[in-house]
Amino acid sequence: MRTILVLVRKDFANFFRNKAAVSLTFAVPFALIWLFGAVFGVNRKDSGPTDIPLAVVNASTNPGAEKLIEALKAEKAFKVITKYTADDKTERPLREADLAALMRANEFRFALVIPEDLFSEKTFGLHLKVYTNPRNEIETQLVNGILQKTIFSNVPQLLGQSLIARGRGTIGAERMDKFNQAIADNVARNFGGDPAAIRKGIEQGDFGAGGLGGTGAGGDSLISQVIRVESIQVAGQDVKSPVATRIVGGWAMQFLLFALSAAATALFSERDHGIFHRILAGPVTRAQILWSKFVYGICIGMLQLITLFLAGRILYGIDVEHHIGLLLLICAFAAAACTSFGMLLAAISSSQEAASGLATFLILLMCAIGGAWFPVTLMPEFIQQISKLTLVYWAMEGFSQVLWANASFMELLPTLGFLGGITAVVMTIAVWRFNRGKIFD
Amino acid sequence: MLSLENITKRYGAITALDGVSLQIEAGEFFGLLGPNGAGKSTIMSLVAGLRAPDAGRITLNGQPMSAARPEARASLGLVPQHIALYPKLSAEQNLRIFGQLYGLGGAILRDRVNEGLEAMQLADRRRDPVSTFSGGMQRRLNIIAALLHRPKLLLCDEPTVGVDPQSRNAIFDFLEKLNREGLTVIYSTHYMEEATRLCTRIGIIDHGKIPALGTLDELLLKLPFEEEIRFPRTEATTALVAKLGAHGSVEPGDEHYRFRPQPGYKLSNFYQLTESLGLPARLFTSQRPTLEALFLHLTGRNLRE
Repeated sequence: MRTILVLVRKDFANFFRNKAAVSLTFAVPFALIWLFGAVFGVNRKDSGPTDIPLAVVNASTNPGAEKLIEALKAEKAFKVITKYTADDKTERPLREADLAALMRANEFRFALVIPEDLFSEKTFGLHLKVYTNPRNEIETQLVNGILQKTIFSNVPQLLGQSLIARGRGTIGAERMDKFNQAIADNVARNFGGDPAAIRKGIEQGDFGAGGLGGTGAGGDSLISQVIRVESIQVAGQDVKSPVATRIVGGWAMQFLLFALSAAATALFSERDHGIFHRILAGPVTRAQILWSKFVYGICIGMLQLITLFLAGRILYGIDVEHHIGLLLLICAFAAAACTSFGMLLAAISSSQEAASGLATFLILLMCAIGGAWFPVTLMPEFIQQISKLTLVYWAMEGFSQVLWANASFMELLPTLGFLGGITAVVMTIAVWRFNRGKIFD
Repeated sequence: MLSLENITKRYGAITALDGVSLQIEAGEFFGLLGPNGAGKSTIMSLVAGLRAPDAGRITLNGQPMSAARPEARASLGLVPQHIALYPKLSAEQNLRIFGQLYGLGGAILRDRVNEGLEAMQLADRRRDPVSTFSGGMQRRLNIIAALLHRPKLLLCDEPTVGVDPQSRNAIFDFLEKLNREGLTVIYSTHYMEEATRLCTRIGIIDHGKIPALGTLDELLLKLPFEEEIRFPRTEATTALVAKLGAHGSVEPGDEHYRFRPQPGYKLSNFYQLTESLGLPARLFTSQRPTLEALFLHLTGRNLRE
């Protein structure tokens, strides 16, 4: 044990003498966490996209169309463009014919056309055209979703108007007018009011849901009135910084994997300097060297994880102090798993360069499918199954259990078991490969 | 003290050592002289327990040496061919780490680190990172690191490669002093000057075999001539070279010829010949043959080939 401690102390002395390594292990990830936090709006109260350019062409004379445009302008996700600026700086309203050229010129990638036949007497519903340049599939889906939400939340009377238009087409304008008048008379008789005003309201699509045309704030939108969804949060209610709590663990794992792989592949540097020959010629065994690397990896990994979670605490208010015991435990298991991964890389590679290349590929792959970048649930089912074989998945699961779900030790135990199992299997293979390989020759 | 019996070591299809046997007594300064790839480092790594022989037996003080018995290696010190130091750490940090790995600590370790640094004239640079040292200084530190635990047997695997003359002399003086104090040294080199100066006994090694072994005098007796004559390479001496072919070998150098007479050829005959050609006696230097000549005689190759 004394020999292992001497070797671990030596690795720490080497590490702290290497300013670049210290910086890459602690300061750079700290800075990147701050930067990524800013990019993803971790500390914004209302996260989500902002100012996506959306061109709007209005060919309809219906007053509801103007209301729809106003609603789109009020939506923070969009920056609505309704004017075309010519070369001589003169402006005029955008036309549908302008759109294709402007989209090809990348002035904007989404456009909404409100056509003259916004309502049809032959079909039910609104007729809208959406032009897209779907360069980014996720962005396109996002924009379509926000467009639909804005339309349904803010201009429900357009649907009413659509219904009336369809009625005219089905039973004829004269009979529809008589029907509307009868409704208005009955409403006035039973509830009071001016029958002419009530009829005007009906023809404008207001079927009596006075607040339906609101902004949607306060949960009184049409959708929220038609489908009442009661949301009950069962975990994370007390989490101070939910977004940061969910994602800092993923970033931390990525940095940790890179740092510990680099630490493990430093074995090649010691081999190339002849250090192993010197110390193996003394009373030191190969096993002691490998154990020392493992212990050092866990120590440095825990230091890095704690530093990164402290960064999360300082920058985003992640509640670290109330979970410190279990957080240290999951950090130790995560660091052990990452260290074993680095050792395996060193064991199966022929040189430091080969190990670094392989590390980059495998780390990015594991982080992608392990859920460090985006939720595993968004991936196809077979990837979700593969994901569970990665140490990143289980480390993320552990961080989430501790920081998000406030799990107990017993609840955390299975996750620790998986991480411990991965570590044991990977280390066993690594040691077997080290003994067959040439790193100590 | 150290015994190698019929050692064979192969790396794939290459036989690095082919039935090598050696006996090294306590207090010896034993040299392994041979060109690169001759098998010197393989012998060192086998004795140090870094590799196991494919056949044969190595014993130290009667105990078998094995990679599985690291405690048996505590009485060994290895100066590797590489500068096996941590470049970012200071000289003192390096020595403390290697000393601690041998179980040293406290005042004993501090004293030995100080002694080593003083002896190798590195005390004033003790806190500087090794990466800032010259090649010679790093080589000196490389040797101190192998001596902290006071080994009985020191293995020096080409310890002066790339070293300036000043550092080389410091290393030689230091090793000679340690040897006088009782340290047994095995010293591998391809510099015959080093083997000649340092070693009490020398093993000539080539292609994994030791064709000659003994003291310098014993080895030189294996040559068929007692002296060799050196003379300048000029037009006047070209005629002499043509006439000497029948009486021995003439090895041309860049500026000189080296004449090695056949057994029985009398040097008085040589000087009669030079006089007959009108060559003055001051052109010729008679000298004792070197290990280089012996190596050439034994293997048909130069040491540096």
